[in-house]
Amino acid sequence: MSDKIVSEYTKEKKVGEGTYAVVYLGTKQSTGRKIAIKEIKTSEFKDGLDMSAIREVKYLQEINHINVIELVDIFMAYNNLNLVLEYLPTDLEVVIKDQNILFTPADIKSWMLMTLRGVYHCHRNFILHRDLKPNNLLISPDGQIKVADFGLARAIPAPYDVLTSNVVTRWYRAPELLLGAKHYTSAVDVWSLGIIFAELMLRIPYLPGQNDVDQIDVTFRALGTPTDKDWPGVSKFSTYTQLQTYPPPSRDELRKRFIAASENALDLMSGMLTMNPQKRWTTIQCLQSEYFTELPPPSDPSTIKLNKD
Amino acid sequence: MSVKQKKKVLEKPEGYKVISDDDLFRSSSQYRLWSFTKEQLDTKRVDTNAHAVAAIEEKLTMFKKDYASDISEEDAKMINEKAIPLTAEEELKLVDFYAKKVQGIAQHLNLPTEVVSSALIFFKRFYLENSVMEIDPKTIVHTIIFLACKSENYFISVDSFSKKTKASRDTILKYEFRILESLKFSLLCHHPFKPLHGFFLDIQNVLHGKVDVKYMGEIYTKTKKRISDALLTDVAFLFTPPQITLAALSLEDEQLTEKYLETKFSNTDTIIEASKDTNEKDKDSEVIKEDRPDKINYILLLSLIDQCKEVMSNPSQVSMEEAKSSAAKLYFCNHPMNIIQRNKKTQPDGTDSKEESPVKKQKI
Repeated sequence: MSDKIVSEYTKEKKVGEGTYAVVYLGTKQSTGRKIAIKEIKTSEFKDGLDMSAIREVKYLQEINHINVIELVDIFMAYNNLNLVLEYLPTDLEVVIKDQNILFTPADIKSWMLMTLRGVYHCHRNFILHRDLKPNNLLISPDGQIKVADFGLARAIPAPYDVLTSNVVTRWYRAPELLLGAKHYTSAVDVWSLGIIFAELMLRIPYLPGQNDVDQIDVTFRALGTPTDKDWPGVSKFSTYTQLQTYPPPSRDELRKRFIAASENALDLMSGMLTMNPQKRWTTIQCLQSEYFTELPPPSDPSTIKLNKD
Repeated sequence: MSVKQKKKVLEKPEGYKVISDDDLFRSSSQYRLWSFTKEQLDTKRVDTNAHAVAAIEEKLTMFKKDYASDISEEDAKMINEKAIPLTAEEELKLVDFYAKKVQGIAQHLNLPTEVVSSALIFFKRFYLENSVMEIDPKTIVHTIIFLACKSENYFISVDSFSKKTKASRDTILKYEFRILESLKFSLLCHHPFKPLHGFFLDIQNVLHGKVDVKYMGEIYTKTKKRISDALLTDVAFLFTPPQITLAALSLEDEQLTEKYLETKFSNTDTIIEASKDTNEKDKDSEVIKEDRPDKINYILLLSLIDQCKEVMSNPSQVSMEEAKSSAAKLYFCNHPMNIIQRNKKTQPDGTDSKEESPVKKQKI
């Protein structure tokens, strides 16, 4: 079967290389549609198909949503696994870093709305992403945000599952992960989104820890060290006794840090960055935030200009 | 959420639609690619079998042609007698036989229930797409289990897996790609264990004060075991996970299950009927009906559970003899030369060859 599919997709340009895959730009011959091909280097793994590849295939097969990257096709060629994905020319990290791109509060609102919709769809399909960061929020030619890279994803755990806390890229890691929790929920994804929201408003990374230990300090210095009062049981984490105690920021301090943010925007951000994962807002609560219904309305994605021309 | 916020959400955009859990399940690969009616399932198996039979017969014809000068009349007769392609029924029996092996090995390795079940489901799906005449089941048993471990996030290195199963590294990895391809790259299995946990909690809620907690614990454990075994049958191809769970619960305690379903769902019929009537007059009630999360057709539900119980209660029984006889046919179809050699060895002076028949050497 593969021969037919192999000739259906061309690889034209190598655009990236990760630990387990090479990404090419290409074209779907029958339609002329531009696509990206993620070629997974299977031969290099002694344990057969790599876990990240398996997770990516497993979860992308299940999700069909405008704000999640589309898996167009899969095929085998020359002992490599090829994932055919929709072509997405840029991502939020590039946009945030590019000083030549101007974006407005309405654009930020639009991006947050699309991202939350994509992540909500994952969560209601019982899928945790576990690696949300600007670099994994890709943008389509018509301006739609696409949640991508499911290499760390997993099913939403059952209450008795024991998990590894070594997930999520450092700056976007929720406090329960920093404290080494053996169990966590979809709330870890919401935290990452809260950090991304802050980063969009500040245009610099919000909590850039130098290393894992520093990340704990940076996080609690900015948002306050959690206590048993607002997060019952937090002091039981073995790492808790070594923590510096910082007070949580006052509303005024937050207003000063996020000058352009409305009160509703600050409410949303604080809801997403609630220390206690059980009290942290869910994606539904976030989507129902008044931030999205107050003025200005979110920009129409297709009108957000990301090119200088 | 505050009431204030909900009010604003109520202004629904054009094309607004409530996505139900059923909609979510219908978009899953388990439903899209691996759910069938009984007829579809039978047809699929017959087709896969017919395809393989044609290939085998062509191969045998070629063999007889290629070795025409070496094959005596006697040989040709032996080939016709021994190298008989399996029928669809025989094939299914052999798959069932090995499915039990997969379950046994996976359980012996102390793998979590989800991993064991995924391995089983993968194996059964693989042999809808492939015939046992194309790929011998025993060559993929370990690969299937190894892949299920990875897919269920229960990683075991190939070296330690090899040590535990005494299967070689190459055997374990050889068909991994081929399997993934046959599985149509669809790895997420919705097992009935999560619904079981859900119903377990909900029964205690709905029948609060009428059920004993300790008894419910026993029912839970027994039903879980029943579900694990039910996955050996075709239930997962034919029914949704909650249907399978309810059928298993009902086989365990019919009275309890009926009482629960009646209390929970028997009234919704009348509600749906009522809203249908008003629908014609008043379009707004459409929304109310659409929003109902428990819009369940009680009568249909009961009949589906009965059908599922029926499938579940009739697991296929395959004896070792049947399996061996099918395995022998399979062997000779793929190795016709051995029939001739065997024939020669036992023929001229009547002295029997000391060498054991290749079939006997084959471990099932």
